[in-house]
Amino acid sequence: MALRRIRNFSIVAHIDHGKSTLADRLLALTGTMDPKKAVDQVLDSMDLERERGITIKAHTVRLLYRARDGQEYTLNLIDTPGHVDFSYEVSRALAACEGAILIVDAAQGIEAQTLANFYLASDANLTIVPVINKIDLPAADVEGTRTQITETLELDGSEALAISAKHGTGVPEVLEAIVARIPPPEGDPEAPLKALVFDSFYDSYQGVVVHVRLTDGRVRPGMRILLMSNGRSYEVQQVGVFSPDMRPVEELSAGQVGYLTASIKRVADAKVGETITETLRPTAAAFPGYRDAKPMVFAGLYSIDDTEYEALRDALEKLRLNDPAFTYEPETSLALGYGFRCGFLGMLHMEIVQERLEREFNLSLIVTAPSVQYKVLTTAGEVIDIDNPSKLPSPDRIEQMDEPYVTSSVFVPTEFMTAIYKLAQEKRGEHRSLEYHGKRVHIKFDFPLAEIVVDFYDRLKSISKGYASFDYELSEFRPSDLVKLDILLNGDPVDALSSIVHRDKAYEKGKALVEKLRKVIPRQLFEVAIQAAIGSRVIARETVKAMGKNVTAKCYGGDITRKRKLLERQKEGKKRMKQVGKVEVPQEAFLSVLKS
Amino acid sequence: MRPGSAYPKMHFLVADNPSSSSSSILAVSAPEAKELGLYVHVPFCTKRCGYCSFNTAPLTDGAMARYLEALHREIDLLGALAWAPGVRLATVFLGGGTPSLLAVDEMAAALDGIRAQFEVAPDAEITVECNPESVTREKLEGYRVAGVNRLSLGIQSLDDTILPRLGRLHDARGARSAFEAAREAGCVNLSVDLMYGLPGLDLAGWAGAVDAVLDWQPDHVSAYGLTLDAGSLWGAAGVEGIPAEQEQIDQYWRLAHAAAARGLEHYEISNYARPGCRSRHNQIYWRAAEYLAAGPGACGFVGGIRYANVRATPRYCETLAAGVLPIESSERLSSRQKLGERLILGLRTADGVPTSWLETRLDGDQRLRQRLDTWRAQALLAGTGDRIHLTEAGFLLSDALFVELL
Ligand SMILES: Nc1nc2c(ncn2[C@@H]2O[C@H](COP(=O)(O)OP(=O)(O)OP(=O)(O)O)[C@@H](O)[C@H]2O)c(=O)[nH]1
Ligand SMILES: [Mg+2]
Repeated sequence: MALRRIRNFSIVAHIDHGKSTLADRLLALTGTMDPKKAVDQVLDSMDLERERGITIKAHTVRLLYRARDGQEYTLNLIDTPGHVDFSYEVSRALAACEGAILIVDAAQGIEAQTLANFYLASDANLTIVPVINKIDLPAADVEGTRTQITETLELDGSEALAISAKHGTGVPEVLEAIVARIPPPEGDPEAPLKALVFDSFYDSYQGVVVHVRLTDGRVRPGMRILLMSNGRSYEVQQVGVFSPDMRPVEELSAGQVGYLTASIKRVADAKVGETITETLRPTAAAFPGYRDAKPMVFAGLYSIDDTEYEALRDALEKLRLNDPAFTYEPETSLALGYGFRCGFLGMLHMEIVQERLEREFNLSLIVTAPSVQYKVLTTAGEVIDIDNPSKLPSPDRIEQMDEPYVTSSVFVPTEFMTAIYKLAQEKRGEHRSLEYHGKRVHIKFDFPLAEIVVDFYDRLKSISKGYASFDYELSEFRPSDLVKLDILLNGDPVDALSSIVHRDKAYEKGKALVEKLRKVIPRQLFEVAIQAAIGSRVIARETVKAMGKNVTAKCYGGDITRKRKLLERQKEGKKRMKQVGKVEVPQEAFLSVLKS
Repeated sequence: MRPGSAYPKMHFLVADNPSSSSSSILAVSAPEAKELGLYVHVPFCTKRCGYCSFNTAPLTDGAMARYLEALHREIDLLGALAWAPGVRLATVFLGGGTPSLLAVDEMAAALDGIRAQFEVAPDAEITVECNPESVTREKLEGYRVAGVNRLSLGIQSLDDTILPRLGRLHDARGARSAFEAAREAGCVNLSVDLMYGLPGLDLAGWAGAVDAVLDWQPDHVSAYGLTLDAGSLWGAAGVEGIPAEQEQIDQYWRLAHAAAARGLEHYEISNYARPGCRSRHNQIYWRAAEYLAAGPGACGFVGGIRYANVRATPRYCETLAAGVLPIESSERLSSRQKLGERLILGLRTADGVPTSWLETRLDGDQRLRQRLDTWRAQALLAGTGDRIHLTEAGFLLSDALFVELL
């Protein structure tokens, strides 16, 4: 296939601006998907993606398009997630492309991830095709959005295509623009194979399915390939394209995007950023590689039922096969027993991992309060990483503690500025810069990561009636005055409820936490005292009164079944409780640490 | 016999209709014991009470006759089951609804119908639930002659401001006269139903009602704490004035102490009796023993199978008119479920359960064993040799234990 008939592009945008919907239209227009059979956002194929209406993983699909010039083109589309937790998915997708369609919602305008993804694409030297979507909405402001694109992104706003992905308006022009504006890939099909791994997933039948972008050479089944970073060699089993399901082809050649399988056992053996070449005729230089997605938040995962520990370990192992961004290692808790400390990209990622473990592996889990990773300089002069509050050395052994900071962008209509500054102050934010873009401002803040990972985004959305958007990036560690806040139930500290907080916020946080716990801990046969303490000093206290009455007066007319079923349902609920000492603590109590 | 209540004396007998597999469940599951109870549900009330979620509807013209006709058919179908001649009814309980809406001849015919199909033990306990406003001495005498030997009077309260709020149609005087009428009619096994935790009921009011009723010297008292059932008017619409939890607990204890002082045994969570006067029918439930069901929505337990009849009265009647037993659902209990039920039912009673049953349940469940230790340590659970039972304090918290035991 001639390289000049190939276009490789990603669709990027702020969350919910319509990437997956545009992908639907492109699939339908090119006949890749029968529109009658298609569901909305067909590429969002995971249950969780469908239920939440968001894209979690990037999805690749090949389209065949006969353009108005009469030629047939192969378009490799990668739909990407918009949520900040998964921005690393966007970067890897971009590495496989020459161009990016940057969507901007005509009613919302440019948002924080619009900007973040724009920078990712322009840093990767991609040709950017701006598209203004949702022009069908009554609140659509196409001209205003053009101006924003010109002023904020320094692209030519007049060249942006105005479309409605929902109704299909203007979508044929998007296909033409892809062909006309995005350059074809370059490369030499006759040179030694050089392919970039930009994604991979584990399939229990075929082993690892590696998403590749070939820059040079060809690959076909039977060929021996070499993974350059680890020197492992494999025989290719199958090569193919996504259309959108996996479809084997005879060969992939320079410039093309597709997949290969080669009985690779672990995703870790064919990491994103890996260079694949021929064993017999290796290419001269590998790609520079790709930094691993680094977990930002850490939390303990425990099975409620102690006997499920092994099952949990197996499940984590399997899940990690498909999600290398998540990490785990064994840990023990006095309160919860044996479990795992896991690292996640953010709270959404954490929720998704938990949900997948519970659903796909039928486990009942407790997730402890998430923590960021601190750097602690001990009096003995060592520097240790602490991602679990209960591992924090006692105050007399700590010389200094550093916490991670992020640089962040907030986009918000000017009328919400005051509220945003107030929130930023509450979250220990430091103002960096302010730029006006028409009716909206772009504010940059530095925040301690710990302050923004949990509920910051929700708070931001609610104080701005949904108009504010937010993006952040890890920047540096800074010294900070931090203390460990402990929670005691009937006098016994519960390690899994401890958290590390800024000294100035400890009192307020402790008070909120015990109040929250009082609401979620059910009444027991005895009174339960809930205390928050720093060291030996109790700073807040609440009690859960002993259960007074819990009785069914009558099983009427011998209807025992109804009673039994009622109790069985309650028992299901109880399964989500963990016994800590004598006290039964529900799953959500452990998460309440973060929401207070 | 009034013309409206006439029903044919001849019935088609269809013991097992192959077109309806659930109706034949009883045909293939014979009772394990020889002695059974029979629960008969009468699905009518003059008016529904606010707290009630039972299967009942206002009595409309002709409905009673249609229902009774269907009931007779049902009894006949049950009697025609292959195993029916081998069993004996030890108790019959007519509950509702308001069974005392049945005229004397209707009651007599119903009981005759039962005796025609089943051997009824000579000393069988035959109970009818009565609402005070629907009984007279003559009627109750008629019931007695028909074979009824135990009455349960739905007094609920003696407070004339509370009674109408409940939706009851009697007042305190009416309650008293109904009790006297029952005695005069020769009822020697007479039970009174009371409710506590009612909206507007304070401890003093409750104490007054308890003492008054105990002064009447009933043979048996049932006292139910109000629960807002989803299916009740109050459950759906809510109700104001429910006493605080501690107040409800105080009311529970007030009765428990007064009943003990009068020599009544607190033999089940909600039931008190003079020695020898426990409800035999209800004890069948609590012992997870077997009983047959008749009437709309009635539940039975036979041969390890729990089953329930169609709830809606019109459909109940239609099904029987087609000659099919109106069983709507049935479930064979696993051995684990059976054990769970025996424990949670048995522990409702002061006699409790054999320690060995509990041991079977605890086998390998260290966590539950620890929890039971807490129950014992707090004197909620007590063991006397080979039996274990909840204390009066334990009764109050019993559901918290039952959840664990299932
Ligand atoms: N009115 C209107 N709604 C649209 C249009 N395009 C997308 N939407 C709606 O916007 C919502 C988000 O669309 P998606 O396609 O899932 O957005 P996305 O950018 O893929 O979202 P993420 O993958 O979660 O970042 C859905 O409810 C779509 O139906 C459009 O042109 N007009
Ligand atoms: Mg999407």
